[in-house]
Amino acid sequence: MRISPGALLVVIAVLVPFVVEFRTALSWFGVELSVLESVALAGVLVLGLLVWAMWPQNGGEMGSADSN
Amino acid sequence: MASATEKQETDRVREIGHDEYDPVGTAILIGIYFLILVLLWLFMYFVEFLGNGPTVVGALQPVLLGVGLA
Amino acid sequence: MAMRNAYVDQFPSEARLISAAFWSSFLALAIGGSLGLVQALHRTDYLRFIDSVDYYTVLTAHGVLLAITFTIFFLVGIFTWAVTTSLDRGLEDLRFSWAWYAMMVVGTVLVGVSILGGVVDSIDMQADVLFTFYAPLQAHPAFYVGLVLFVVGTWLAGADWFRTWWAWRGENPDERIPLPTFMTLTTTLFWYLCTLGVALSILVLLLPWSMGIVDSVNPLLSRTLFWYFGHAVVYFWLMPAYMMWYIMLPKLSGGKLFSDPLARVVFVLFLLLSTPTGIHHQYLDPGIAEGYKFIAMTNTMFLLLPSLLTAFTVVASMEHGARQRGGTGYLGWLKALPWRDPVFTGMALAGLMFAAAGFSGMINAGMNINYLVHNTWWIVGHFHLTVGTAVALTFMAAAYWFVPQVTGKQLWNRSLALGQVLLWFVGMTFMSNAMHRSGLFGMPRRTAEPQYQGFNFEPAAGTVGEINAQVALGAALLTIALALFLLNMVMTTIGGESDAIPDNTYAGTLSGPEDAPVVLDNLKLWTAIATVLVVFAYTLPLASIIDAGGLFGPGIEGFQLTIGIDPAIVLESVREVMP
Repeated sequence: MRISPGALLVVIAVLVPFVVEFRTALSWFGVELSVLESVALAGVLVLGLLVWAMWPQNGGEMGSADSN
Repeated sequence: MASATEKQETDRVREIGHDEYDPVGTAILIGIYFLILVLLWLFMYFVEFLGNGPTVVGALQPVLLGVGLA
Repeated sequence: MAMRNAYVDQFPSEARLISAAFWSSFLALAIGGSLGLVQALHRTDYLRFIDSVDYYTVLTAHGVLLAITFTIFFLVGIFTWAVTTSLDRGLEDLRFSWAWYAMMVVGTVLVGVSILGGVVDSIDMQADVLFTFYAPLQAHPAFYVGLVLFVVGTWLAGADWFRTWWAWRGENPDERIPLPTFMTLTTTLFWYLCTLGVALSILVLLLPWSMGIVDSVNPLLSRTLFWYFGHAVVYFWLMPAYMMWYIMLPKLSGGKLFSDPLARVVFVLFLLLSTPTGIHHQYLDPGIAEGYKFIAMTNTMFLLLPSLLTAFTVVASMEHGARQRGGTGYLGWLKALPWRDPVFTGMALAGLMFAAAGFSGMINAGMNINYLVHNTWWIVGHFHLTVGTAVALTFMAAAYWFVPQVTGKQLWNRSLALGQVLLWFVGMTFMSNAMHRSGLFGMPRRTAEPQYQGFNFEPAAGTVGEINAQVALGAALLTIALALFLLNMVMTTIGGESDAIPDNTYAGTLSGPEDAPVVLDNLKLWTAIATVLVVFAYTLPLASIIDAGGLFGPGIEGFQLTIGIDPAIVLESVREVMP
């Protein structure tokens, strides 16, 4: 893990306001996302985040992040 | 009272004193905050002032028309 | 067996008092929070099982129980902990302490029963006056008597903290005031200053009026006296949350408070500026000249200073902890913070939400931009970020540390607690975002029926239906988070004693009180300046309000919402003020 499970959960939670506000901000540029598209976007972001977090770190130095 | 303040912390790997501590990360975060503040301020100008008519003067009539009172 | 040194071991009698205050607070949170869900589902038309007329009863209970009862019961517990822990001595006389607690309880019960009378026919009272209980809305006298008892109870609690400090000072004449006690005392001082206004409003105007001793009151005067107290009260809730961020977060992060002197400066600034700003809630009130509003706006903008100082000091303290825990890089240190700890994470997320609330707060504070959002749902979105998250989430996170301290019992489920603070954050994101946005297109607050006939709101993005769905979703998540919090508290309290309770400590400092100018501890001086600022900001507005409308106003009849108002009368009064 590149990041502790606790921190990962927090990052996912903090992602929510960004996704919600992103939709409003985009509409200002004339791009209208539907609710479903926003949820899909959030899903992709969370998935990407999980992949990044789970990917083994270079040199195989596992579990160096704090794990309390 | 010194006796009640924290002395030992189990997860501590090093001790950073007053003089060698440089809160550069804090400066970055606060900088980001001010950047968002400035951007929102610009955004507000475009959306709320250029996007709408005068806010107070003249706004009463259409609203009351909408409610069906006038 | 290692010797346990929790708060309950040091001060067993005080721990019982604090525990009682916490549970009073949680009870108010449980009732008030559930009513929040009722309102959210009613307003958004998802589930309606109350009459729309009763909405105001529910709204009043939600506002009073959460904004007054939940917050203040919790903070008297925190302040009692802060004074006794940092002075290392118990309260002077526990009988006195239980007396102020009992007074607050009796006051709350009176207020609660009179509000309940709005929906229960067998109680011949009503108090559908909302948390902002100014005229012309009129409540049963029991409501006002209850409020007075509650506030006087907090005054006596403040006296208790001062007594303890005076006794300590007698034995330690040359010591600096320990920071947690300093924070408690400065907060108490502006609480005394601001509650004078609401006490006057209740005792001179509202109570005699509701008892029929006087026929009418000057509504603008009662509004102005309410907001004289009504803005400072938000700092009364916020200062204990600030205290937690200053003296607990650095410790939880594994570091030290960056600067004790800066913390003292911040609390002194709040003592000075909390009260002479109330008129910024009245930017749209006719009858107060623009110039006075401008003074209030200037004072309000100065209040950004201590808040931004706090942002810097608290984040710098967290960074110090993270770097001591091995964190590196410009932002990489964030990963080294103890995110697994619900106490830390709850407080950190509360602080993050407060930073967002700063954005909408600056909009509210500006006189011209305020016109855009005044009386819309934007305001409700704003204060659910401040009192509803910065304060409430900090208090809930703090409870995960404090309840074990005052009971000697280990937190029942730490993972559930972490999930709970995250769920609260996500739920509030949904709800508050939708409220802010709907305020921008003019959706009104304080109504069960926000729609108009023959008029459609035009959201900048999405639809009104989506916004309603977002509010309902957020409110549902918040209610689940609330239930999880209460479950954890109940299970912790009925659990067995544990030896694994951490010691009762707070954060040390990188730059200590010896670096702070001695004048910062001169409470008499700051109180005097605060009083002078209040006199400057309020004498002329109050004089002109009384001059224009008289002390008891021009024949204002009280409105009692549950009795119902004839629509024809409302229409007539609207026509009168229209050009």
